[in-house]
Amino acid sequence: MTQSDAIEWVAKVFEVSPDQLTQDTHRDNVPAWDSLGVLTLMASLDGDFGIVLTDDDVQGIKTVGDILDLMRKNGKLT
Amino acid sequence: MRFILVDKIYELDPGRQIIASKTLPADEELFRDHFPGFPVVPGVLLTEMMAQAAGRCLDADGTRLGRAMLGKINRASFRDWVKPDQEIVLHAKITQNRPTYATADCFAEVAGRKVCSAELFFVFAPHEQFAADYQDEILTAYWNVHPDMQPKRAR
Repeated sequence: MTQSDAIEWVAKVFEVSPDQLTQDTHRDNVPAWDSLGVLTLMASLDGDFGIVLTDDDVQGIKTVGDILDLMRKNGKLT
Repeated sequence: MRFILVDKIYELDPGRQIIASKTLPADEELFRDHFPGFPVVPGVLLTEMMAQAAGRCLDADGTRLGRAMLGKINRASFRDWVKPDQEIVLHAKITQNRPTYATADCFAEVAGRKVCSAELFFVFAPHEQFAADYQDEILTAYWNVHPDMQPKRAR
């Protein structure tokens, strides 16, 4: 998956248009990145990529770039 | 109308899948408005029925520190009308089952015909939020018939 595809994927998870996100977008600036959004992110990473996170793992993810780094670390991002 | 939208559990594999049923009687007041001269079960109630069936499946494994609560309706489709007094057979298969969330693929059928389906997302509310003596009467009825299925934690 390319970085552009990954940002599109993140946008779908948080129900926003991809052009509203960059790597630096912080979770505080994404309305749907609330407690339900965090769980949706966990479920989507699990279901779509087999990446299983703990609550502690997720608390460390604060930006879109952190999500991309996670995907890269798990070999899902080229 | 009480908001227990499952009458009976037919089959239960805790945390994995469930078959249950619900029948709304023709004298339920909601049918006066939905709709006059054409009483049919509202789609939102069919969705809640599927959610309650799936939620009980999740709660039945007794391993969590919380009760299943519907968090998102990822997808729902309503393909046919459901009339009063028809037995609605509810099917739920748990597709993701993690400590803090779960997902379920659900459908309902009447007389063997699929009438609706939904993909549902669940979160979990701590047991302490609920009445201390609360026990789900539908699961309890099932466990009374299948005592070996009751998780040790819930006994």
